[in-house]
Amino acid sequence: METTTNSLFGFLGENLQQFLSYTAFSHMTVGHIIMMMVGLGFLYLAIRHEFEPMLLIPIGFGILIGNIPFMPGLRIGIYEEGSVLNILYFGVVQGLYPPLIFLGIGAMTDFSALISNPKLMLIGAAAQVGIFGAYIAALLLGFMPNEAAAIGIIGGADGPTAIFLSSRLAPHLMGAVAISAYSYMALVPVLQPPVMKLLTSRKERLIRMRPPRAVSHLEKVMFPIIGLLLTCLVVPSGLPLLGMLFFGNLLKESGVTRRLAETARGPLIDIVTILIGLTVGASTQATTFLTGDSIRIFVLGAASFVVATFGGVLFVKIFNLFLKEGNKINPLIGNAGVSAVPDSARVSQVVGLQYDKTNHLLMHAMGPNVAGVIGSAVAAGILLGFLS
Amino acid sequence: MIRRFFDARFFAPLFSAGRRIGASGIFALTMAMLWSPDVQGQRATDLRLNEFMAINKTNYEDDFGERSSWIEIFNSSYGTVDIGGCYLSDDVNNLKKYPIPKGDVLTSIKPRQHVVFWADNKPTHGTFHLNFRIDDTRFLALVASDGHTIIDSVSYPEQTPDVSYGRTEDGAGAWRFCELTTPSTNNALVLLEAASDRFKTYDPTGVAMMITAMTVVFLALISLFLIFKYVGKTALWVIALRGRKIPRENPAQVTVSGEKQQPSPGAVFAAIAYALRRYEMEVSELESNILTINKISKTYSPWNSKIYTLRETPVKK
Repeated sequence: METTTNSLFGFLGENLQQFLSYTAFSHMTVGHIIMMMVGLGFLYLAIRHEFEPMLLIPIGFGILIGNIPFMPGLRIGIYEEGSVLNILYFGVVQGLYPPLIFLGIGAMTDFSALISNPKLMLIGAAAQVGIFGAYIAALLLGFMPNEAAAIGIIGGADGPTAIFLSSRLAPHLMGAVAISAYSYMALVPVLQPPVMKLLTSRKERLIRMRPPRAVSHLEKVMFPIIGLLLTCLVVPSGLPLLGMLFFGNLLKESGVTRRLAETARGPLIDIVTILIGLTVGASTQATTFLTGDSIRIFVLGAASFVVATFGGVLFVKIFNLFLKEGNKINPLIGNAGVSAVPDSARVSQVVGLQYDKTNHLLMHAMGPNVAGVIGSAVAAGILLGFLS
Repeated sequence: MIRRFFDARFFAPLFSAGRRIGASGIFALTMAMLWSPDVQGQRATDLRLNEFMAINKTNYEDDFGERSSWIEIFNSSYGTVDIGGCYLSDDVNNLKKYPIPKGDVLTSIKPRQHVVFWADNKPTHGTFHLNFRIDDTRFLALVASDGHTIIDSVSYPEQTPDVSYGRTEDGAGAWRFCELTTPSTNNALVLLEAASDRFKTYDPTGVAMMITAMTVVFLALISLFLIFKYVGKTALWVIALRGRKIPRENPAQVTVSGEKQQPSPGAVFAAIAYALRRYEMEVSELESNILTINKISKTYSPWNSKIYTLRETPVKK
């Protein structure tokens, strides 16, 4: 009888021990706890302060999912072949999601501001200096050129582009690059205003720009067609992003494919955003994410945003030297050259209103903002062409 | 094929019924694509005879430890191509001499990769062993699955033992006797250096990349700027032209007194908008006395029917 009792307790004890070994607690490390705190921080920023909630909530929750430790081999982790998360992550690894997001962006973007004042396109080009500033800095920190390019693209302030390029050039850095890009996109209202105020005088901040003219339907239809031909003939490697961006825009502007445009800018982009956000977040498992490289990538990412803002604002100031009075551009829209649409344009508006309550810069800033999307996709195409 | 693809027969249903692509349109499009043999078989046309050795005395051995002639085929495309179903032949009058078996996973050739067939007249040794030899022939052909379209062929001179005959580059270039025999690998041995390594060596600071890339970005956007600058000017000119034409073309735009009506300036529109806004603000607290009835059409589906989701009422029997 006693033997039976002993063996029963022994059996239960073994089972309990086995159960405990399967719980997350027995595999928990300090790294996991740190990453969970980061995930919770993202959720806090998104819910409490509404910093890019559409991105930070999926990413933040994804970080929580990805950092719950488990017994390896159960096919549940994002890096375990055949797991559900791994299958969803396929779209990130293979660069499937970013072009679909670009399709949606194209279908929701109104290029009128750019078409009515095409010189604003040049600001979108100038702000790409952030990408190459970060590229140089990353090389100096010892990264290989392909890794430096993946890091530099954070300065383009375009999450899908960053994911697309890093998946091609440096897949091992993709998690850190994506998290960094999205984090700083959310922090655009914090990062950009000090630089904008530092580089501009009060007089410059008060410049009133001429209201944009009305743009005809024909011009709107021509823009995606000419845009595609011009940019992709120069940089064919940018086709996946630029092709989808302009295609989406043509769906919107043609006026005869309303259903397709609505799907692209509505359910499709929502679905892909959920998948990309969640899986990118979940890819930040502490065991693979918490490295010295990730920290350096975060530092470089912040620097690239600052350099991009510098580039955009300084370019406007120099450009203004060649423009007649009345045609001058308010340098506060220079920051919008980074393609964080529409956040950086909103920053221009907010900072502009701080100095003149009636000077609304939003519509003007949308020009360089959407030009920045094109510029960063072209830059990504160039880096891909050179380094792949 | 292109002409057939755009044939009105296939596309007519797509654009009927008010430009809506219905199920019939999608079906027609799918069928049009499936019926086209060119679409189905176009990938096999990327295959190339790449190198062969007709007389193998001391060269490579097959899995059975035997030396015999071999033929290398190269997939010149950037997609996987299945060679199964195609034919290999050394006889121009019998192009179906060796049908390459279908269903063998090994017949799928990865992008820019090679596959080697042994011309040993021993087809029982496996898929890659042909039913003919090429020691004393002067012709080789790779034939499509239709049995008569030659994808690639080569007529060659008398061969030297243990010297292969191949193209100067994989899938392209002239045929010549090869200095090195390279079955299952590239004909032109090039020491490939990763692009990243090259940039690391020649542009360690990244300045050259920055200058080049920024120039290209600016060029792309400057060209867009220039085009749309003139497109904009043209558009404004057209609008102005139309504006001048309106009074002449549309008598309704001319006032009773015969004076031409000037286009309303922005201030007038602003005043109208302001007046409307004021009006709306003033009446906002009053009942509009307008009843709007919107018809909401709902497509029936058993999945959203309450009847189908209700449990059956128990009946006492």
